[in-house]
Amino acid sequence: MSTVTASLFEGVAETARASVVRIDSGHGTGAGTAWAPGLVITNRHVARGATAVVDGMAARVIAADERRDLALLSAPGVTAPPLPRREGALRTGELVLAVGHPWGLQGSVAAGIVAGEMDNGERRIVRADIRLAPGNSGGPLIDARGRLVGVNAMVAGGLGLAIPVAEVETFVNEALAEARATGAAAG
Amino acid sequence: MAELEATAAVAAFSDGLAAAVERAGKSIVLVDARRRFPATGIAWQPGGIIVTSDHVLEREDDIGIVLPSGDRVAATLVGREPGSDLAVLRIEGDLTPAEQAPAAKVGQVVLAVGRPEPSLMASFGVVSAVGGPWQTATGVQVDGFIRSDTTFYPGFSGGPLVDALGRVLGLNSSRLGRGSGLTIPANSVDRVVQALAQHGRVRRGYLGITTQPVTAAAASGLLVVGVEAGSPADQGGLLVGDIITGVGEAAVDSSTDLRRHLGPDAIGKAVTVRVTRGGEARALAVTIGERPQSR
Repeated sequence: MSTVTASLFEGVAETARASVVRIDSGHGTGAGTAWAPGLVITNRHVARGATAVVDGMAARVIAADERRDLALLSAPGVTAPPLPRREGALRTGELVLAVGHPWGLQGSVAAGIVAGEMDNGERRIVRADIRLAPGNSGGPLIDARGRLVGVNAMVAGGLGLAIPVAEVETFVNEALAEARATGAAAG
Repeated sequence: MAELEATAAVAAFSDGLAAAVERAGKSIVLVDARRRFPATGIAWQPGGIIVTSDHVLEREDDIGIVLPSGDRVAATLVGREPGSDLAVLRIEGDLTPAEQAPAAKVGQVVLAVGRPEPSLMASFGVVSAVGGPWQTATGVQVDGFIRSDTTFYPGFSGGPLVDALGRVLGLNSSRLGRGSGLTIPANSVDRVVQALAQHGRVRRGYLGITTQPVTAAAASGLLVVGVEAGSPADQGGLLVGDIITGVGEAAVDSSTDLRRHLGPDAIGKAVTVRVTRGGEARALAVTIGERPQSR
């Protein structure tokens, strides 16, 4: 086996790990994904209150959406670099990596493939054939080129379910527009 | 440098897997023949021949097929083989038959692909084991199996296990392997498809009895608890309460032992069935019949 094949996932995994944060909100540990400087995205079920601790620093929930299970946090102290975002359709069978803190194990990486996308009429979901666990919630699902594909949200029937990056983008844009309109500080 | 190469390699690997799913998908159809979620089928031969899992056919009429194009067509049942959980369907018009892969190897990268909905679904893994002849829980002899660590999600039964180039290694059944799921190798599927396409069934020997294993003071063997009227066993004089201890020279201790004597070659042959009846040993001449379909 060549060194290239032997270290196949390492480069991508390293990039992804750098962009993952740890979120403590008083009831367990979850993951978060650096979205933009000072902004972190996670699941609403991870950041349930008005505040949370991100990588040991105080952060504030500036928007939350129960239906999409998303929360946007203002975390000025966080320096984790945001990931580039995937544009264009996913292909069933392509490789994906998930990074998070399953069972509290920091920065764990899991590899799998896109099992298929699902549209239940209300929203789209990325289904991944990948082994996720509690603690992966809020962490990134990335493609083989290190681009953000979605935010891991839950496990159902053995499949990892992630909120597609386009859906996250819509949520963040709406949240920031709302924050500007009400004069709240987003930074 | 090595890092850049690895980054390119992982991207190429990923693209290759997605291409494999797309390629295989041209021969993968949705099979709608049960009340809950649909299952999957594989275009196997020219002439609209599709193979699927037997257990996903809850009905034999009104079988719907959703083609890779998304069009829905009707299929007719050609034959079914519950023992190895295979069934053959036919549709009007042509499909792209699946391309077969060379024999599976342990460690090989594979994908389980299904079409339980109009779009494709896939699961990734490696071949964990490749085995030779085995008997299913119902005692049917199957001439090989592939086990992988892919997940057969609901509706994946009847779909293919494919290699990294999208070629078919075998047909997935969540029913086989005592519920843990197995893949029937493509060449075994081939044999069953040939038989079903030719006779509409796979021929198997048949006695017409139900039994349970017993160990009694008088004898150990198979206690006959039911004899079908007019069956080969009935005509040969077997009675409820007999304990079957052997067939020909061979001892019989289990239903698996008995089924060894009921292969396709046994049909029409006269055999000596040795029984204990009321404590006395007897030998009965029985001509093995052909098992009626769907048994």
